[in-house]
Amino acid sequence: MNDTATLEAPVAARAKPKVILCEGNEAAALGVALARPDMVAVYPITPQSSLVEHVAKLIADGRMDADIVDAEGEHSVLSVLQGGALAGARTYTATCGPGLAFMFEPYFRTSGMRLPIVMSIVTRDGITPQSVWGGHQDAMTVREVGWIQLYCETVQEVLDTTVMAFKIAEHHDVMLPVNICLDGNYLSYGASRVELPEQADVDAFLGDKDVNWHVALDPLRPMAVDPLTGGAGGKGPATFVRYRKGQCRGMQNALAVIEEVHADWARRIGRSFAPLVEEYRLDDAEFAIMTLGSMTGAAKDAVDEARAAGKAVGLIKLKTFSPFPVEALLKSLAKVRALGVVDRSVAFRWNCGPMFQETLGALYRLGRHVPATSFIGGLAGADLTVAHFHRVIADTEALLTGPAPTTPVWLNEND
Amino acid sequence: MGRAFNTIAFDASKCDGCGDCMIACAQAKTGTDDVARSRIQIVGRDQAFELALCRQCADPKCVTVCPAGALAKDGASGVIGWDESKCVDCLLCTIGCAYAGIALDEASGHVAKCDTCDGSPACVPACPHGALRYVTTAHIYNEVGDWEDLFAPGLAGCQGCNTELLMRHTLRRVGPDTVLATPPGCVPGMGSVGYNGATGTKVPVFHPLLTNTAAMLAGIKRQYKRVGREITALAIAGDGGASDVGFQSLSGAAERGEQMLFMVVDNEGYMNTGMQRSSCTPYGAWTSTTPVGESQRGKTQDAKNLPLIMVNHRCAYVATASTAFMEDLYAKLDRAIEASKSGFAYVHVYSPCTTGWRFPTQLNIEVARKAVETNFVMLWEYTPDTGLHFTHPVDDPLPVTEYLKAMGRFRHLDEAQIEHIQRKVVENARFVARLAEQGEAGVVA
Repeated sequence: MNDTATLEAPVAARAKPKVILCEGNEAAALGVALARPDMVAVYPITPQSSLVEHVAKLIADGRMDADIVDAEGEHSVLSVLQGGALAGARTYTATCGPGLAFMFEPYFRTSGMRLPIVMSIVTRDGITPQSVWGGHQDAMTVREVGWIQLYCETVQEVLDTTVMAFKIAEHHDVMLPVNICLDGNYLSYGASRVELPEQADVDAFLGDKDVNWHVALDPLRPMAVDPLTGGAGGKGPATFVRYRKGQCRGMQNALAVIEEVHADWARRIGRSFAPLVEEYRLDDAEFAIMTLGSMTGAAKDAVDEARAAGKAVGLIKLKTFSPFPVEALLKSLAKVRALGVVDRSVAFRWNCGPMFQETLGALYRLGRHVPATSFIGGLAGADLTVAHFHRVIADTEALLTGPAPTTPVWLNEND
Repeated sequence: MGRAFNTIAFDASKCDGCGDCMIACAQAKTGTDDVARSRIQIVGRDQAFELALCRQCADPKCVTVCPAGALAKDGASGVIGWDESKCVDCLLCTIGCAYAGIALDEASGHVAKCDTCDGSPACVPACPHGALRYVTTAHIYNEVGDWEDLFAPGLAGCQGCNTELLMRHTLRRVGPDTVLATPPGCVPGMGSVGYNGATGTKVPVFHPLLTNTAAMLAGIKRQYKRVGREITALAIAGDGGASDVGFQSLSGAAERGEQMLFMVVDNEGYMNTGMQRSSCTPYGAWTSTTPVGESQRGKTQDAKNLPLIMVNHRCAYVATASTAFMEDLYAKLDRAIEASKSGFAYVHVYSPCTTGWRFPTQLNIEVARKAVETNFVMLWEYTPDTGLHFTHPVDDPLPVTEYLKAMGRFRHLDEAQIEHIQRKVVENARFVARLAEQGEAGVVA
């Protein structure tokens, strides 16, 4: 499977990459085309629509050889792909917000059947209040359903992660579905310079697909797929536990696989991204702010300005949100004495952001108290600017000397 | 495996006692018009006729009582033959037979009986009313008895389950190159997907969700088509999962012309989960969610007519069927399988539920038959080319009470409710008949 020649070729010696200007939705579509899925199922929804339009056009133009299913709704979109995967197909779709909510029934089941389906979530805030704009509420709402979730910062990262997602999902130690989360509006419609990998390099990177070796609907090897299990008697309880434990093990295996796949991508394609947790100016920081997705660009600018003004601030960005990279995050958290976590969604039960809530869980294992504040901003398409992050930095710095607030700071409250 | 045999069947409701069959028989067997010498005898009066004719019994008493070995059942044809050279004319056989199937022919001085004219009985075409048919008894048994039962060793349906019968026959017909979807309901409930890994189903089988059967099957079929493999994508779904919560994916798959055979087993409710109402439950029926009480007596809405809705999707093939008419069902299965190779085929089978409809198990097929004979259920098929036509027209239906009275779920009905049901049966029959006329008109045009 490995192409040694490609592996050893120094990146600089390669031909100049093809560069285009495109939006995140088109970049995702191009990434899908490079991964050569057998089957794509689509149903349009804002702000995902132009993504599936690009996929449809690539197929119509003969630039992508996939069976496209224009299903009558997101529920069937994912169901068609489940059938395809059980018959051995590499599969892809994209959705968001209400579409993801409608899809929830088969969505839950996809990870249970260990089907390596790849799906972009062009993130959108949850309704109601009615809104069609970006926010992480949709993806965060399904964070406990057994899918791997990778958040992208840039349009280039969207393209590259889309391809990598297939390799992660189909890895035999993982066999779980993957969401590539790209911020609605900011990444979906944000045009940016993008380098296109060579198809041959991507082919060598992905290798042959092997999608239904573990579970199949195939008359040549007949089996009963997903029989009734559980209950209180016989083999039921133990069988159910074995399946569930396997899912959890697959999620934990994914942490190493995600790192390995990102490293392989860097070797072959010449671009690297922090696979789990990215640190920015953290090594000598006293305190840090924590970000997710496209907001990170403005946050890094704010950190640079604050550094220039003498503040010892660094930044921690999560790329992998599910599985939650506890060990990797703890290494970063160990470097700071205060933390401000910026979420683009809310955790209703805890009156804070979901990433803040989960980070508190990780902090318990640090063995030392780190005061932290939850910041909530960028809801329903609101912009998170450098000015917003200066407030985050100031409020977080205040934790070094003063008390931590018990309620979140709502960043766009007065915008 | 033993074979079943050919015989002549008699429909008393079509006989007017004209005697043409007897003349034809006498001419064929004696060269005379003497109806007394006919081996088929119509007896009775006042428009109520019966038939005296050899049944070619499997356990023939005439043969048993014959002291001379003059009567014998042919192993290949099943016909009971008489050997004049051995007969001692004792006439014991005429006493042994309960059907007056063998009698003294006074002109010849010997007994005479039907020999089915070597498989081409003269009486059958002579009947001007179609009251006589030359049929293969247990035709289905002969046809499919040797085929592999792909639900083996067993299924755990209720005693006398109609759906189990249907599933077994359907899968025998469709064969092993099949992927079978059985959404939650009685079909997997009786163990087709199994419990903790034990299943008797010999083809790949799975639980879709109640909601996404047609979508999942579409994905499976498409991928095999993509890699050049021919399989039959078969769903055996309940009426609830098809007409209620699963309807969207069903409609979507039909609209896209996904290549599959979608069979709905209509037992008119959620029988597996305790007999709750579905949109296919008929008006007036008791279910556990339309109970009979002081202020409400059974379901207050009419059933959704799902097969007609599928006709309006212009599916490649749509049919209704009943296990009381197995030859009709098999013919439709054949056409549906063929249609599913290039489009969406839909077969809606009415499947009486002995447990949920509250009737004794031995009446299962009788209830299914009465549903058809009263026009409560109509058997038809549709293709876009040929339109809709009846496969078992019932021109003179029995009153619907003949169907309703067999079942506990209708026992509480008052006169107004029965009148409502009868009115709806007539209204529905007219509606479907108009579609059938349009179909014929379309073919002519």
